[in-house]
Amino acid sequence: MLSNTWNSIVDWFSDRSKRNNLVRSFNESARDAFIQGIAPTLLKANISKGESSYKHQFSDWLNTGYRIQAFTGRELSKNELIYIGQVILADSNLVRKLIVLGWDTLEIHGDAGNYGCRWQLKDYIPLPNFNPKNNE
Amino acid sequence: MNDTLIRDSLKLANEVLGHSLNAKSTNYWFWIASAEFIIIALLIFKSKTKVKVTERQKFKNESLNNDIDFHNIIDSSFNSTQLYNELKIKCHPDRFPTDKIKNEIAETLFQDISKNKMNIKRLLELKEEAKQKLNINF
Repeated sequence: MLSNTWNSIVDWFSDRSKRNNLVRSFNESARDAFIQGIAPTLLKANISKGESSYKHQFSDWLNTGYRIQAFTGRELSKNELIYIGQVILADSNLVRKLIVLGWDTLEIHGDAGNYGCRWQLKDYIPLPNFNPKNNE
Repeated sequence: MNDTLIRDSLKLANEVLGHSLNAKSTNYWFWIASAEFIIIALLIFKSKTKVKVTERQKFKNESLNNDIDFHNIIDSSFNSTQLYNELKIKCHPDRFPTDKIKNEIAETLFQDISKNKMNIKRLLELKEEAKQKLNINF
């Protein structure tokens, strides 16, 4: 009991650190790509509230959205937003990592305009059905 | 007579004190042994009640072990469409109707290209493959 609680606390802190590292790695790569001229738009990832109806078994209590903002200075078309989202969702390793680190929503936004796109992450990876009794 | 009594009582007191000193040192070792016993018992208990890796934890660990190539993801977000459009035209199997071998190679390549249309790293590898196997000039 005590050991389980201790492990849960350690896991929680470890997950926080991994979540922050994932966001930081994305931002560093996006910045490098923008500086080198590989990407015409600067992308920036951050953690958002997420959509509560997209919850899954690994979802965190709070802040379950992985939001990517594209700094273009103009309103991005729906197709552009969808394409960025689809490239991210096409990487199954990244989707798996996002899911197990507690995210359930992927959001793509521009820096101008009022709309963005969001996806339910669990739709893009088959999640095994774990019996909660065995996981205590 | 009184002197001998006093001497004896002093002797006795010394003996008692000596015994109690010995007893204190015995207690000291007793506590060390007890502490060691408790540590050993705790270690044994911990090893017996080792946390089992659940299926959920296993899935999580496997997922976290994969490395993510963010450079490729960001590059693909903006540059893969152009390369994909170029490759799908140049490597289409219908461009090799007479050469059966090249037609088969082009078909396999075309399938791979369609499968990886959002992965620029893989598309560049397929481009090189097309250059070598199908003699296509890009």
